[in-house]
Amino acid sequence: MLTYIVKRLLVAVPTLLAVLTVVFFFVRIAPGDPAFIILGDQASQQAIAAVHQELGLDRPMLVQYLDFMSTVLRGDLGMSLVTHRPIWSEVANVLPYTIELTLTALVIGVVLGLPLGIAAARHRNEALDYAARVFSLLGLSFPAFVSAIMLLLAFAIELHWFPVISEARPGDPLSRVSALVLPAINLGLIMVAYVMRVARSSMLGVLGEDYIRTARSKGVPARVVIWRHALGNALIPVVTVVGLYLGVLIGNSVLTEIVFNRPGLGKLIVNSLNQRDYTMLEGLMVIYAFIIVIVNLLTDLTYGLIDPRVRQR
Amino acid sequence: MSDVRQPALAVEGLTTEFRIEGRWHAAIRDVSFSVARNETLALVGESGCGKSITALSIMGLVPKANGRIAAGRVLLEGRDLTELDEAEMETVRGRAISMIFQEPMTSLNPVLSIGFQVEETLRYHTSLSNREARERALALLEHVKIPSAARRFDDYPHHFSGGMRQRVMIAMALACSPQIILADEPTTALDVTIQAQVLALLAELKAETGMAMIFITHNLGIVASIADRVAVMYAGDIIETASVEALFDHPMHPYTEALLSSIPRVDRDAGELKPIAGQVPPITAMPAGCRYADRCPLRVARCATMPPLVPLAGDRAHQVRCWVRAGDGGQTP
Repeated sequence: MLTYIVKRLLVAVPTLLAVLTVVFFFVRIAPGDPAFIILGDQASQQAIAAVHQELGLDRPMLVQYLDFMSTVLRGDLGMSLVTHRPIWSEVANVLPYTIELTLTALVIGVVLGLPLGIAAARHRNEALDYAARVFSLLGLSFPAFVSAIMLLLAFAIELHWFPVISEARPGDPLSRVSALVLPAINLGLIMVAYVMRVARSSMLGVLGEDYIRTARSKGVPARVVIWRHALGNALIPVVTVVGLYLGVLIGNSVLTEIVFNRPGLGKLIVNSLNQRDYTMLEGLMVIYAFIIVIVNLLTDLTYGLIDPRVRQR
Repeated sequence: MSDVRQPALAVEGLTTEFRIEGRWHAAIRDVSFSVARNETLALVGESGCGKSITALSIMGLVPKANGRIAAGRVLLEGRDLTELDEAEMETVRGRAISMIFQEPMTSLNPVLSIGFQVEETLRYHTSLSNREARERALALLEHVKIPSAARRFDDYPHHFSGGMRQRVMIAMALACSPQIILADEPTTALDVTIQAQVLALLAELKAETGMAMIFITHNLGIVASIADRVAVMYAGDIIETASVEALFDHPMHPYTEALLSSIPRVDRDAGELKPIAGQVPPITAMPAGCRYADRCPLRVARCATMPPLVPLAGDRAHQVRCWVRAGDGGQTP
């Protein structure tokens, strides 16, 4: 297992470097001179040259690239063009909110989706299975922002159970929890739908395998057959989907954060877009890329944990 | 083999049906046989004749979604297994009756170590502590001749060859010293040399423990080497049952005859091989009478009704389901 972990870590490094490279050139290729954005259309040639010099844009591309890579790898994302504060500290302010939201949604998705999927597979073509499938279809068809608005209308505006603006008051942990509930349910239910669907179909496949019949022929109790013999094998596709969906979840959290007016990376990215905060966007792209690489790494490590055949590769 | 011994397992009038397009069709019909301690009964027939369904019915493993035992009893020391609920059946499976399957490559769980999988049988049927169960599982693996079993105890199935996996399956099946072992084509998927090793191992273990064995195969060569008695199945019916010697020396049912003359032999020309013309009727369109009638050279008008399985006058242990051959007590050849 240790060799497997080390191998995966080593593979993640070039991935990350490649992603950073793409981010760098993507931003350079994008139309529009940041100096105009900072100074406005009417700026003089001199002023623009001064900004170029300040940002280091007058240097050769390769030098800029190496400089970018070395500062980013040292953990320095630069300064925001708008607030003139370090990007890293802006991100650090809101990152916990996004992580808290995403992880809660993930937990809801797995804790509800997995047993539901397993139950649907065990009771294939019975009422429970049909109900679960209808639910998952609904969950998959609703865009996150639509369900967010519906949840807000029902539980915040009509029933007043939760705040409309999901902002926690400092020093009041309970308000932070109640601010989290609706956004987390909104993202979580979509996750439940995904996980349930994959768990069901993968479980159905596994339950028809020879080794399940072998386990039953040994007199292993039905419960153990499901949770140990079948789930161990059915989990790989579920982990894949959870890993992939974490990326979607981060994307969906942008919309969710906006609808619920909740601080987080999503809101930060939209604000920077509106204000054309070009260095901030670059920094955020690096952060997102980094998160995705880490999620993929964790997914790979989970494979190894579940399947001995993967560990060997 | 004598009939007076108390049977370890008796199957009486077993009928198992499957639902196909909303209607129930019998895959096996009125199957009866018994097997005594220390005896090997071979269940023989071509693919799809109901051998495996018979085994799964005995184990209570017929898929519930579209299958059911419609009639009959499976008596284990006088107790009818078809009456038991799932929880009770779980205490019988693996302890009193074990099964070895055809496909060693897919019959072991790929994500659990082989040691664990052997140990697990003991865990649910004995009061051994974890350590004792582990020691016993290791002893079993050594007993079925897994080389350096102690070192390989925590290895996974993909580390083993087909023959070795089948040995692991055998160790699992034997863990609780069952009275009966059902071996469903346990050597079909293996190379010929490995086949011989696994057969020798099974015979050795059977002699050692005195268990009864039901050996399912389509290979008559294996039947001759391992079985005491044979039951030949055709399209869900047992059509002939006899001691191995009697069956090979005087096959009575025309199907058995045809089966025996379709085995390639070194001392005969391949040109003398006689494939059986025609095919098995599909499960959804079984004739009411003898199911072999369509392919049978001896067919008479009476074959339109189902013949009973009757003992021959000269050898009561030799039974045949054929109007022509048993109609007069089996006197006409």
